[in-house]
Amino acid sequence: MKEFINYLADPIRSFPITCILFYFMIRYYKVVGTKKFAWIGGALLVATYGIFALDPNFWLIITWPDNVPISILVFSVAFLTWYSLYKCAENDKRLEAGECPIEALPENREKVWCWPNLVYTELFAIIAGTVFLIGWGILFDAPLEEPANPTWAPNPAKAPWYFLGLQEMLVYFDPWMAGVVLPGLIVVGLIAIPYIDTNPKGNGYFTFAERKMAITAFLFGWLVLWLYLIIVGTFLRGPNWTFYGPFEFWDFHKVVAEYNVNLSEFFWVFGLEMSLPKNLIVRELPGIILTILYLIIPVVIAKWDKCKEMIEKVGYIRYYIYMYLVIIMATLPLKMFLRWLFSLKYIIALPEWELNL
Amino acid sequence: MAEKGLADKVRETQVWKSIFRHGPPNNARNRAAVVAGNVFLHLHPIKLKKSGVQLGYTWCMGGLTFFIFLALTVTGVLLMFYYRPTAEYAFNDIIALKEHVPLGIMREIHRWGAHAMVITVWLHMFRVFMTGSYKPPREFNWGVGVILLVLTLLLSFTGYLLPWDQLAIWAIAVGSNMAKATPFAGHGGPGAMLAQIGDFVMVSDKNDVRFQLLAGRFVGEPALLRFYILHCVFIPLVVGVLIAIHFWRVRKDGGISAPL
Amino acid sequence: MSEDTRKKLNRREFFSYLSVAWVTFTAAAAGLLGMAFRFSYPNVNFEPEMDFIAGRVGDYEEGVDERWKNGYGVWMVKEEGKLFALSNICTHLGCVPTWMPAELKFKCPCHGSGYYTNGINFEGPAPRPLERYKITLTPEGTIKVDKTKIYRYEKGQWDHPDSFLSV
Repeated sequence: MKEFINYLADPIRSFPITCILFYFMIRYYKVVGTKKFAWIGGALLVATYGIFALDPNFWLIITWPDNVPISILVFSVAFLTWYSLYKCAENDKRLEAGECPIEALPENREKVWCWPNLVYTELFAIIAGTVFLIGWGILFDAPLEEPANPTWAPNPAKAPWYFLGLQEMLVYFDPWMAGVVLPGLIVVGLIAIPYIDTNPKGNGYFTFAERKMAITAFLFGWLVLWLYLIIVGTFLRGPNWTFYGPFEFWDFHKVVAEYNVNLSEFFWVFGLEMSLPKNLIVRELPGIILTILYLIIPVVIAKWDKCKEMIEKVGYIRYYIYMYLVIIMATLPLKMFLRWLFSLKYIIALPEWELNL
Repeated sequence: MAEKGLADKVRETQVWKSIFRHGPPNNARNRAAVVAGNVFLHLHPIKLKKSGVQLGYTWCMGGLTFFIFLALTVTGVLLMFYYRPTAEYAFNDIIALKEHVPLGIMREIHRWGAHAMVITVWLHMFRVFMTGSYKPPREFNWGVGVILLVLTLLLSFTGYLLPWDQLAIWAIAVGSNMAKATPFAGHGGPGAMLAQIGDFVMVSDKNDVRFQLLAGRFVGEPALLRFYILHCVFIPLVVGVLIAIHFWRVRKDGGISAPL
Repeated sequence: MSEDTRKKLNRREFFSYLSVAWVTFTAAAAGLLGMAFRFSYPNVNFEPEMDFIAGRVGDYEEGVDERWKNGYGVWMVKEEGKLFALSNICTHLGCVPTWMPAELKFKCPCHGSGYYTNGINFEGPAPRPLERYKITLTPEGTIKVDKTKIYRYEKGQWDHPDSFLSV
């Protein structure tokens, strides 16, 4: 059983599983968004976590003080995702029946006094927050390792947990992509959301039916690409950044046969059975052509009916910004699959120019 | 006539009246006065939509983020009394914070508070997205919020170096080496090659963005001082200003979002 | 004030003064920002010495030698009749790889890049081989390693006479 879970947890299998689960969650959000589902799902989640925690190796990982926030995050995100889907399902049923969302009911539109309604809630939140932080501070010591030593790196050397999604991306991308371009685009993309999403519906109340595309795209990025990668980076990456199942002992000498090949080698050496051309541009031509083809996808599909509809609605500028953000976001899962299926290292490999894709 | 209680007597003293200009907030006039007349409470509107006070709608994550920011400011200032940002003292001062100072959990509260703030600020964004609260007229404030989120991560990241232990310097080594790969501005990134004239390298490890961040070619004492200043002064000042804008705009854009 | 003094500043002149003033203001603001930016780059920094004397050629046996790793961040590798000074900084994100004698490779703990003993990368995300430092013999017969000069394989610099010692 434990071996089977270790086997499933490998990103090669757990990433597709997560994607499929995500698809079902979105497809059947009305089933997910019921109280019955919450009780069953919550009980299952707690039970699984409890059984997992019985394993000494998993126990070691989750009780490492810097990993405690991730457990808190996992549980609060699980609950709040369910809760917002529950609210969405509730409102969508009302909207289908031609009623207004719950937030727009007269009793919720009613104005109330700030004192005492809000002030007392805030006081309670402050007290609860203080108690929580002090309790956490007493229960867990802040970690402190040996004094800094620039000549010896600990193994594994991990970034703070909230950057582990980025560190996990570094396995698939060169630093200039994973460390600079992609994080930069995440920030720019987030800021751009209100200017791209021109759908006037769903402002100020929970709904899924009225803004399917926006919510699906955001939840995929937030739950699957960001949180899933943080969980993998924290729980499943051990010494040498090798994959370790949740119940696996972190053996420093675990040997993983891993040999990654660049696209140029695939093309020239395995495909045409000749040696790599000396000229850099010729050598990387297959990768460069592929990249250009990938980048003109939004231009090509702009002719499709669905895209035409979208362009008519929001205009060319918004369409292209949205499409490029989406296809650049999609490079991450694409690159992951290419790595797992073909051990592909870089599509364009120009270490001479520090330019690898 | 009922006998006056102690509370009423206190309320009638000159000292009390000089501080609070209004009576107890048990009628409409005083409830308005207490919120409008208090420098801290006047962040709030006097009356607000019911959904704006419902935990089921707001999740209270923005409020908690602000509370944790204040808690971190207080604990952070207290920690500064004992901490010296030098390679010689930093690590020992962190140990002293545990061993030689009463209530040896101040650093714990600061560290876990920092983690908690990252979580609450993410969940705040999650809620704001799910309720579509970034839609007009709140587009600008969403952008301010995104920048605040990034600054929260940077605050946490710069603070990570200060204990000056193995965990700290290697996390920062990895993080700052990403800056090295910045296209055109980092010496290990694409485009740096173009800025090379013969043997003269324009973007080198002595003048790129990573050098600016670390004040050196690797994570050493100048980097510790630089991160200390960023962590304790520079970023908190920027965050403070942006928080003011963020709160101001929440009010100006019509309070907590609700159906139009 | 008479009529003609008031006319001295006509509309066109006013705008030309305004543009001069505006350009001056912008230039001054940019200059101040530039000074603040330049202020963050110190003129002098006190980092350790970049070259050191690494014993004599006879001190090294075939294979990887770790004696200068902690002090100077250099592995001395002797193989196939060459002795060279290999940097111990991973080309991926600057972590310090570990020498694994059993598997005959350098393995980086941060993201799992692996290098052969000659410094060529073969696994993990490392984009290029480890760098080699300038290595020369002093007149006294000792080895001098100079870390300010690096030789990179992908640029074909490992054939450079200063990048290795023939032994």
